[in-house]
Amino acid sequence: MRWRRAIVAIHRDVGYLVAGLTVVYAISGIAVNHVADWNPNYVIRTVERHIGDVPEGPAPVVAATVLERLGIDEAPTSAVRMGPGELRIFLDGRSLKVTLPGGRVVDEIVRRRPVLFQLNFLHLNHGKGIWTLVADLYAAALLALALTGIFIVPGRKGLGGRGRWLLLAGIVLPLLYVILAT
Amino acid sequence: MVHQHNGFVAPLDSSSGTSEHAFSLEKTFNQVPWRGQTMRTHPIATLLTLAIVALAVPVLAADGTVYGDGVTLEKATPITELLENPAAYDGKTIRVDGVITGVCKKRGCWVQITDPDTGKGVRIKVEDGVIVFPLESMGHPASAQGTFRVIHLTAEQKQKIAEHRAKEHAAEGGHEACESEPIGDTVVVIQGTGAIIR
Repeated sequence: MRWRRAIVAIHRDVGYLVAGLTVVYAISGIAVNHVADWNPNYVIRTVERHIGDVPEGPAPVVAATVLERLGIDEAPTSAVRMGPGELRIFLDGRSLKVTLPGGRVVDEIVRRRPVLFQLNFLHLNHGKGIWTLVADLYAAALLALALTGIFIVPGRKGLGGRGRWLLLAGIVLPLLYVILAT
Repeated sequence: MVHQHNGFVAPLDSSSGTSEHAFSLEKTFNQVPWRGQTMRTHPIATLLTLAIVALAVPVLAADGTVYGDGVTLEKATPITELLENPAAYDGKTIRVDGVITGVCKKRGCWVQITDPDTGKGVRIKVEDGVIVFPLESMGHPASAQGTFRVIHLTAEQKQKIAEHRAKEHAAEGGHEACESEPIGDTVVVIQGTGAIIR
């Protein structure tokens, strides 16, 4: 039938077009679905260190002393006195929380999760702007895939047979959950 | 002559100049429907290219990266003033300047902006997903704008906040789990609409 050939063609071409993006959304979807249990974007490592008593002084001076004792040869982005007993030193991808004058340092090192950070950036549309349009087009493409997919296979394996029951199961399952959970 | 492949019907490239029966890699390659035709840029390819280019360029202002609606107020309210007289600013649109000393680690849904001269800070909370602050913005100078709010907490809310903080700390090393800041009866927050991070 001519109409079936048309939907097969649509399903095939749209499928090829959005396959890559579907992989992106699927992987990121699993990652952010469990955000309560882990950080899907960053690996954060904290190390506690002790550098002994630190002499009082202005924040930049104290920061220089701390960095020298830790052997960090990097100019800080900033150093902020959070209170009389605490100095925060910010470096690129790293922050030091220094307890004064005792010299206890909580060294927090942050790095992006390779690949996953970028996948989440796309999936969660952190970039906004034109990606919102791309995401809308992708959603429309998924809709086209779903609707054409239903009619691809004729006969017993299609809507005339088990396809009908699988389609119903896919609709009833989320519907049942919404009824029970809300 | 037509070549049929997976239901796709297209004229064969007639410019290959090879014998119809002679097998050659070149001919086989040229029989792929899209081969041998003049290269033209498809509108969708153009659109995708533009999208990628646009994404590669962050929204940069002259003096920093703009988040959300940015900052339109010219004058900042000192954070110390906000903390000393919170009722006077409740519900007002204000701007604060300072250094970012805290960022929501999982969702980027808030930043703490601290006045480096006093060490006093205020949290700017944004709607989840609408603005996402990068963790790399820690320590950078920033300005933020939004509606200042004084929130009176119930005992239940205080408990929930304490549990949430403890859980967050434990999930990321647990070093500070037992030294979280005490939670008062009221908290102040700026419901942020925009920021500029330098």
